[in-house]
Amino acid sequence: MPVIRLTERRFVLLLLAPAGCFLAVFVAYPLLLLLRNSFYEVSLYALNDGVFVGWDNFVKALGSSRVRESAARTLNYTVIALSAEFVLGFGAALLFNALGKRSELLRTIFAFPLMIPPIVAGLLWRFMLIDNIGIVNHILETLGIIGDASDISWLGDRDLVLFSVALPNIWLTTSFVALVLYTGLQNVPAELIEAAKIDGAGNWQRFRRVTVPLLRPVIAVVLILRGIDAARAFDMIWIQTEGGPRFASEILSIHIYRAMIRYGNVGEASAIATLFMLGMVLASALAFAVIWGRGTSQS
Amino acid sequence: MRSPLASRALLMLLVALIVLVYGFPYAFLVSTSLKSPQAALAIPPTLLPQQLSIENYANIGEHPSVQRSFGNSIIIALLSTVITIALAVPAAYAVARYATWAGKTFLFVVLITRLIPPVAVGIPLFVIMRALGLIDTHLGVALAHSTISVPLGIWLLASFMEGIPRELEEAARVDGCSRFGALLRIIIPVASGGIAVTAIFVFLASWNEFLFSLLLSSTGVKTAPIAIAEFKTQYGIQWGTMTSLAVLFSLPVIIFSLLMQKRIIAGLTVGAVKG
Repeated sequence: MPVIRLTERRFVLLLLAPAGCFLAVFVAYPLLLLLRNSFYEVSLYALNDGVFVGWDNFVKALGSSRVRESAARTLNYTVIALSAEFVLGFGAALLFNALGKRSELLRTIFAFPLMIPPIVAGLLWRFMLIDNIGIVNHILETLGIIGDASDISWLGDRDLVLFSVALPNIWLTTSFVALVLYTGLQNVPAELIEAAKIDGAGNWQRFRRVTVPLLRPVIAVVLILRGIDAARAFDMIWIQTEGGPRFASEILSIHIYRAMIRYGNVGEASAIATLFMLGMVLASALAFAVIWGRGTSQS
Repeated sequence: MRSPLASRALLMLLVALIVLVYGFPYAFLVSTSLKSPQAALAIPPTLLPQQLSIENYANIGEHPSVQRSFGNSIIIALLSTVITIALAVPAAYAVARYATWAGKTFLFVVLITRLIPPVAVGIPLFVIMRALGLIDTHLGVALAHSTISVPLGIWLLASFMEGIPRELEEAARVDGCSRFGALLRIIIPVASGGIAVTAIFVFLASWNEFLFSLLLSSTGVKTAPIAIAEFKTQYGIQWGTMTSLAVLFSLPVIIFSLLMQKRIIAGLTVGAVKG
């Protein structure tokens, strides 16, 4: 039997091969199929054949007001969820940081929502937000903020629903943002803060000129990761409203799902999904360049 | 200026308030699940059960298909964990130890997969699974879940393995251990804590996954999240039973997460020091 010498290069390739093959078959190949399908008219019931239609699906997708509306909703939803998570999370991180070691127990309790499965969060908020028997409206009524428990229809009001479906997302992930930023804050060298204090910088100035610039890489990672996850959201919204009432909470991933499964329009759905992914890549690259790039060029 | 003591008390109060608001929803879920089915829907709702009742939990017994779905979820999550660990351990080792062009590209590609909305690969995956005869099978859903967890696993494991001192393998190699031998006999035992943490993450990712399960399973291997989500349409909204299902479904996640808090730190240090 000839002995094949296991060089370093061969060894590395051998180690990467199983995972590489798996990702090629179950991630890369599906993506190629998706791209192919976006140029074909394909029915859900005859997925293997289809008629080549060129750019038709893209033209239809871009021309459809429902696609444009759900794209705008995806953006709105992401901005609502991300800004609330970031402001609340950063606030909590600063409070924990001010308390120092004493905050350990509080941090542990605060980390709790991290352990809740998304569908449970969606169901739970759906239950709490029901207008007449829901606890949220009951609390608001008790506090005298609303006159009657059925005054706010959180999941039934088309103008409000996008905010309401973001609530479980915000609840679930503020802890993540807070804990990551807290770790970042703990790593800011105390000497730098002291030096700024000696130079006469006030609280706000120290925060703006010392803490935030040093935290920039952490902030970039948190914002990009959370932004991607919020934009791809499906289950939490699906479980609360399935995109309703009358499409008012239908973000892109729900629209794509519906176009494929309910309407069997695989070609157009694939075109929308392709555009969606392209948008995500561009947005992440842009966010990365803006947040990260500015930090390094300033220093 | 306030005194430091007063401002500290104010700070503490503020933090306690935030924690209360964040802890409330889940406490309310558990509390509701322990009310009677009628009391769960009372107007106005009460914070605590006036009379403790396990009726909502007992009612799950009337729905065998929901019970089966928990079994399906366990099988699928275990399968997905085995597949992911088997694939990700060697790949992570290659990426962490050998800074080759292939390894770097690989890590970048793995990062890119995070940008893919699951709904985009869902339908093509459906086509592939059908061609392989894996629609509505445990293996099919587990493979789909692994498309999310293999990249996740590689990243987690690579960071754990980078923490292992190189001297350990170098010593083994000097003693005549082959490259594979060093991976099997040195790295894997030392990294076992990190592998355990990764396995838990992967298990939970599969346990929580919704969209692929929705697309790839019908009556045969329906997972718990889908069964719970559909529970409302099939029987009307039985919120009492729903809350007990939600509590049961979240239990493994909570238990594993609590276990993991200690493992993350212990996992990295124990192995290397003990040897």
